[in-house]
Amino acid sequence: MDLSEFEADNSVSCRLASAIPDVCKTQDCCLGIDEAGRGPVLGPMVYGICFCPVSKKEDLKNLKLADSKTLTEEQREDLFLKLDEAKSFVGWALQILSPNTISTSMLQRSKYNLNALSHDAAIGLVQFVLDSGVQLKELFVDTVGPAEKYQEKLSQRFPGVEVTVCPKADSLFPIVSAASICAKVARDHAVKSWTFPEDMGELDTNYGSGYPNDPKTKAWLLKYLDPVFGYPQFVRFSWSTAQTLLDSKAVPVHWDDDEEDGEKAAARQNNTSMLSYFKASAQQSDSRTPHRFFTERRLQSLHTL
Amino acid sequence: MTTKKKRTPHSQNDRWVVIAADSAVEPAKKEDSDPTFVRLRNPSTDAASLYLLGSGDGQLYEVKAFNEDFHSWFIGQTVQRDGRLLFVTPMDPLYLLLPYLIKASKEGKFQPVEQVVMDEDFPACTRLLSCTRALASLHHVAEEKDVGRQKFHRYSQQRTLDWLQKKAERTVKALRKRDLSVGEGVKSSTYVRVKHEPEAQAEDFLRYAHGLLSEYISEDLSRALHKHLQLPEISIPKAAEPPSKKRKLSDQPVEAGDDYTKFNSHDFARKPPKKMSAAQKTLAKVDKTGMKSMSAFFSPKGKAEKK
Repeated sequence: MDLSEFEADNSVSCRLASAIPDVCKTQDCCLGIDEAGRGPVLGPMVYGICFCPVSKKEDLKNLKLADSKTLTEEQREDLFLKLDEAKSFVGWALQILSPNTISTSMLQRSKYNLNALSHDAAIGLVQFVLDSGVQLKELFVDTVGPAEKYQEKLSQRFPGVEVTVCPKADSLFPIVSAASICAKVARDHAVKSWTFPEDMGELDTNYGSGYPNDPKTKAWLLKYLDPVFGYPQFVRFSWSTAQTLLDSKAVPVHWDDDEEDGEKAAARQNNTSMLSYFKASAQQSDSRTPHRFFTERRLQSLHTL
Repeated sequence: MTTKKKRTPHSQNDRWVVIAADSAVEPAKKEDSDPTFVRLRNPSTDAASLYLLGSGDGQLYEVKAFNEDFHSWFIGQTVQRDGRLLFVTPMDPLYLLLPYLIKASKEGKFQPVEQVVMDEDFPACTRLLSCTRALASLHHVAEEKDVGRQKFHRYSQQRTLDWLQKKAERTVKALRKRDLSVGEGVKSSTYVRVKHEPEAQAEDFLRYAHGLLSEYISEDLSRALHKHLQLPEISIPKAAEPPSKKRKLSDQPVEAGDDYTKFNSHDFARKPPKKMSAAQKTLAKVDKTGMKSMSAFFSPKGKAEKK
């Protein structure tokens, strides 16, 4: 798998796709969606789709595809190669969501949560396939969040396509297994050959599985915690594991959308504290307030340097 | 996750980010003194403010800081917590000399300025007199008398107001050039108005200029200037406050107007505790450790829960 396009800039989201098999443009097709790397605090999350003509479902079964979680890394690589060899009728596409994309989406002012991010990645891939001329009729998805809601969302988004959303879809439908293998292989490659844009010096890449409960991962996070900047972009800042460590070990950073308690925060938001309504009205203060020319520009006189 | 990040007060910096004219930071020539920050009496607040005197005390500069919450600097390879941006801008020293002249005018005599401009709290104020044009411009605010070689001055409000009026007019010009929004309402600078309201604007500009100048003169002088510029007063209708409902305190012991206790005192005493329903009983037995109290849902949220 050639990930060079993603490696050129691993701070953004990237789409990789196989060539679209010609049969897929003329025959009714089915499509499977699955993801890899949803839980880890390290590395990208990869969305994979696989599609083939409905008539070729049996051929896919002969490849003995299974849920990627039950396979070893070599088995997955093997199966991916087999899928690639079957390119006369099987196509795939991937959306690699970089850890930086995940962090900035989840931590931005208007929060964009992981489920919404996942759904949009999936929808984007399906739309891409439709735009490429694939005659899509059936859609199989391993669920993210409540299955019914997701199924409704996808059905509405893609009228004329029969959508099946259910948990464990990756072991039930070979086309979803295939998607799961593509996603997992891409994720493994991306993590293994991660190029750190940061100057990390002599880098220790022994970070374990990347899952928050892995002691190796935790130790690695602690080792590469910079008091000012936090972590390299490889880390998902929005994960609570990362955040808890930042809160306790790094320098506190205050943003103006941090929620704070008390009257001071209320004053900042221009809310009047309830208490002020019960106070005796303050006498007109004698001190002159600075002219609005200065207050509007946040300019103050100084007493000391 | 509700770890609170406490904001500690700013500690002293040894660095500042400053925007200043080249002339302000020009090193001293020969025996002149280098540019220095000095604390002088602010004519508007009467308290200390920071100023800068250029090399050889040739020019006075005021120091203003852009200061907004949640700002920090990245400087080279370091971080500076103080995100302020200091502006060092030229200023007419006459504004700072004025309070001393006004104070001395109470005696009504002509005096040499060296005698007048003295301040125990701010000894640096005498350096203002060596600013270029400081002495030469005193005639704008004071009457002068030459006796032999020495000059004597006496504060003149009439001259001062004329001088300030000129300042106001020049300020208006500068404001117009910048196309500043000076009216009552908020105006978007990109919003193009079809109808111009030149008359109302002229007054708005003058009022704004007066407000700006008032930052540099005493409150009394600001009022006098307001009259001098013939600006109409803006009257803000004061909302009449309802009378306080607080009871007047008196020495008399407080007595209730009506006594209700006689009707129900014995009821309170005898009533056995209410029986709980079966559902309430089972609820009471639940282990509540670690559960949120109902009121917790109404108190301000901590940091939004994150995945």
